[in-house]
Parts: sequence; structure tokens; C-alpha cells
Amino acid sequence: MTAAYPRDSVLAVIGDGLGSLLVHATARYLGFDNRQITVFGPSVNPVGTYQQFAHNLGQTVLRSESESHFLAPDWPTFAQIDAWSRRSPAPLWRSTRRKYNPGVPEILTEATVVQKRMGWEESRVPLRVGWLQREMEPMPHFVLYDEDANFVGRSKHVMLAPGHGPLSFPPVLAKARTDPSLAERIVQAYEPKRYVPGGRYIVLGAGIASVNEWANILDVGGSALALTRNPQPETQDLNVPRCLFESLGIDAYVALPFEQRVRFLGEVLKGTRPDRRQWLERIERGQREGRFAAAVGDIAEIEAGAAGLHVRIDGKSTDIGWLDVTGIVAGTGFNKSVLTIPLLRRIVEFYDLPVDNGRLKLQTNCGVPGLDRPESRLCCMGLIANNVIPHGDTIAGLKFIARRFVSDVARAERLRRRSFPRRLSLQLSMGRDVARALRSVPTTEQLA
Amino acid sequence: MCPTSLGRVQTRWAILIAPAVIAAIVSAITGNAGWIVLIGVYFVLGVALDSGFYPLVIRWQPPWLTFVLAGGEFVLVFILAHVLKLGLTNLEAIALYWGAWVMAIWTKVALLPLLSLGWIENAGEFRQTGWSVAPEYMPLAVTVFEPHMGAGEAPALVRQFSSVHALPDELRNLPSPSAIRPSPLSRTG
Repeated sequence: MTAAYPRDSVLAVIGDGLGSLLVHATARYLGFDNRQITVFGPSVNPVGTYQQFAHNLGQTVLRSESESHFLAPDWPTFAQIDAWSRRSPAPLWRSTRRKYNPGVPEILTEATVVQKRMGWEESRVPLRVGWLQREMEPMPHFVLYDEDANFVGRSKHVMLAPGHGPLSFPPVLAKARTDPSLAERIVQAYEPKRYVPGGRYIVLGAGIASVNEWANILDVGGSALALTRNPQPETQDLNVPRCLFESLGIDAYVALPFEQRVRFLGEVLKGTRPDRRQWLERIERGQREGRFAAAVGDIAEIEAGAAGLHVRIDGKSTDIGWLDVTGIVAGTGFNKSVLTIPLLRRIVEFYDLPVDNGRLKLQTNCGVPGLDRPESRLCCMGLIANNVIPHGDTIAGLKFIARRFVSDVARAERLRRRSFPRRLSLQLSMGRDVARALRSVPTTEQLA
Repeated sequence: MCPTSLGRVQTRWAILIAPAVIAAIVSAITGNAGWIVLIGVYFVLGVALDSGFYPLVIRWQPPWLTFVLAGGEFVLVFILAHVLKLGLTNLEAIALYWGAWVMAIWTKVALLPLLSLGWIENAGEFRQTGWSVAPEYMPLAVTVFEPHMGAGEAPALVRQFSSVHALPDELRNLPSPSAIRPSPLSRTG
């Protein structure tokens, strides 16, 4: 059952996705109870959006490693729970070599267990927040309104976890999608898709979403032309170099001026993809069968054509010219501008917050400048926070921010924290419940 | 994990407390100081490696390397135990080392993450779970300007709005500020 509203709380999360679950689980772990926490959002399932995207991509394992899951502390790791559940040392062995990636069905199962055990739904107000107002009296807090400007509650501390902006298309593709005769043939990797045997597809980008699509197209018997703007994407297992995931790297990163951070992000996030043994095999097979090729260039023009689309490509080193293809798949991700998220746009405009090239210039604690105070925090997580925490939109990054935000709130509120024996007992019982639930989930094949 | 030198040393302290206590008890019971001295040797050697050697050769430490380092440290501790003549048999020294190591690794893997949420993220350092760089808070302009609080005359605009004056004709019957209009459907329906 969801929470009644208007509702006053110590901490509120605006957004009902993975971030909300991690903030909620961390707050419960440290000692807050459900009456003190509110999650605002219409979704009954905190992993619903992620699940849909993963399904559309055909993604079967996470890119993240064993620590990236939904229990608040780093023990037990997901590999340990998986090993316990399956009575198999294989996950532990893979984990010691950093070759273990939680399967999507498994991690979603864990999220469901955590959601139920921690009572996420009891804290949820099923409304989208449309506006928040900073109030200073009688103590600093925020007043929250829904999208119809109805008062929905107050909270001393607020985490903005609105998720991604809309899907992003390069300008030529965005323009072509406005033509009804072309629109259905130009899709985003994160959208639902259907490939046909013999179909010819151009896949833009070389990140994880694009590589998934190469494999998906080849699997159904289609042909894929991988089109990238840069000759050779770097291959790495995580979204950013490993040490950037931890304070050592984040210290150095945050110490850079904002502009240098943005430039650095552009460098490290340019179309990186993990090296997955099984993907490589499928792609090499496709190459041998003449159904996969890679080229460097940009799509310059798109028209309706006999195959569906008639596409002109400006090749960077080779003359590609006009192509007839069944469709184009853009693995170009999401629009990263905060101005594409209605609530943030309103806050930015009303409070005149500093935005540079679509990025909100957050404080070094992910706080919203001007509105954030130590005794009443307004913090951001997810992609909008990656100019402070470079992997802010990964599970590990969301966890990093959630832990620090909730710890700030606990200090501000002088929370009486859960004792060590109770933490240990909670973790053991949560681990046991997750392990039990995993037994009913078929093991997902590891790709690395 | 990407531990710093400080993180390695702090972690070494934390994980060897329990083995040291147990070794001290065994030493007290048996009257042989070798047990606690061996843990001391292990600790001193570990701190020396943590501060002077590992940071130079290891930046990111994958889990498998933990076992390799344990093996290497065992060889060094074993040699030192012989050189220092600690009064333990080979079997006792081996059992104590690996017993201590198992206890230490459990402390590291299971207990420290429960004690400190940010211990792994903080490179093995025991910091408060907080932000790396302290934020510079900005003053907030909640109100555009301060309202008139003085005891003197009211602001001119208030006076202009005052009902004590006759309302000018041009202000009568102006449309309401609300832009909400009845839906055409509600009129016909």
C-alpha cells in the first residue's frame, strides 16, 4: 500500500527508479524508518524503467561488477549471494578475476526482494513532483507540489533522482524521424525493436548499447554496419576507469575545474564498451559470414528508398556514398541536458541556477548551488550528477551518492544509528532472502 | 579496489586486532611470547610493505592479488620468524599465520563494509562517509529583496494601492489574471 499524502518527511526522493531504491535501502539500513522517508513517483516498480530498457537492448548481464547491487553495504557482494544461492563456487572464482557481472534477471530479483523487505512501497507517494519550493521558516525545508500544483508534502532533505532525459538522436536522424514515411525505420537502441532475417541495418555508435545491437542483429540473421565517428573505441569493462569509482579518483576529479571535468568526461565516456568474449565470437562469426562490418563516418542524408531507407554517408577515410538499408539503429543514448527534465528546467529557470552546456554546475557534494544547505540538503543523483561523480548514472555511482547523502541527513538529524549486531543481522537475513529468491531464477550466462 | 597507503595501513591495523588479541591470550596461557611476537612481526612487515612497496607497484588491486600477497607475506614472515628465533615450531608458526590471515580476511571482507559504508570506496581508509571535497555553499536568494520592516511610512506602491483613494476609472472592469477558460466541450456537453 502506498503512503497517504500530503506527507511530511525527513528525507524525500523525487523519482521512483534505481536511485530511489538505493537511497531508501541505505536510509533504512542506517536506522531511518519508513515514516521518515518519502519516495515520490507513479511507478510501482523501482526497476521497471531499467527493466524495459534492458529488454529493449537485449541486455542479459550488467556491465557493473559484484559490488554493484541493491544492498546498502558492500557485504555480501552479489557474487557471494549468487554462489550461496546456487551452491556453486563459480561466481566467486569469476569475481576474484573481475569477470563476474550480475545477470539482469538476478539483479532485478534482488531489487524486488530489497524493495519488499525495506518497505519501499510504504514510503511511496504515487505522484510526480512538479515543483519544489525552498522555505527557511520555521526551519529550512522544501515544500513539494505535484504537476497540477497541488501541495503534496514537505521534507527537510530532498534527493533529486529524476533519471535520464529523453532519448537522443543525431540531428540528421532527428529530422528524418519527423517524416512519417521514415520514422518507423529509425530507432533508438533503447526502444523496442524487431529485426528480420536478411535485414540490413546501420548501427550508430560503439558503446555498450550499440554492441548489444550488433549481436542482436547478427543473431536473427541480419547484417549490421557499425558506423562510428571515431576510428577505434576504447575497450574497458566499466563506464569509467576503475579508480575513478572510488574516492581516490573522485578526489582528483572533483578537484578539477568544472570545464576540465566536463572535458575529461567527454574523453573517458566516448563510446567505450566492455570486452565480452561471447559478443566477440558472435561478431567475428558475422564478419566471416560477410554480415558485419565497421566504418567511420557520419550519416549526411536520409530518404525513403526501395529497401526502406536510402542513406548517404560521409565516410571519414573511405568513400561510402548512398546505401539502401532496412533501418538505422542509434546507440546514441540519452539527452544529457538537465533542461530536458521538466522539474529541473523549472528549478533552473526560477532560481537562476548555473548551467553550462546543459549541465547543472553542482557543488562538490552533488548539492544544488544556492538551494542546498548542510541542515537541509538538496542533492542530485544519476546522470545529472556525473560532473561531480563520473559514474553517477551507474549502480555503483548511485550507491556512492546515496550513501553520502543519507549519511549527511543522518548527521544533520542526529540519527540514532542501527547498532552493529542489528546491521549484521539485517544483512544476513537480506542475503538469505535474496539467495532464496535467486534459486527460482535460471542462471544467466556470463559473457566475459 | 584502489587502496591508498593510508588506507592499507589503517586496514592492516583494523584486521589484525582480533588475531593479536587471540595470540596474546595464547601467549599468556602458554607462557610463550612467540605467539604475540609473530603477530607483531606480521604487522610491522605488513605496514612496511603497505607504506613503502605496494603503493609503488599496485594501483588497482584485483581480488585475486589478495591471495598472491598473502603467499608472499607468508614467506617473508616465515623467514623473519626463523631469523628472530621466536620460539615457535614451524607448524605453530604456519598455523598461526594462516589462522590470523583467515580471521583478518573475514574482518576485511565482511565486517569492515558493515562498520563503514564507504570503506571500500574510501580506498580502505576509515573516513566519515562523506564527500571528498567540502562544498562551498552559496548564499540563497529566496526573496528578491528584503520587505519593508521599518516603523516609518509605508512604501509608495502600498500607498498607491490603498483603498483610501478613489479607484481610477481605467482600473475598473479589467479582466482577471487567470487564463483558465471553460473547455468548449463543457459548454456543449
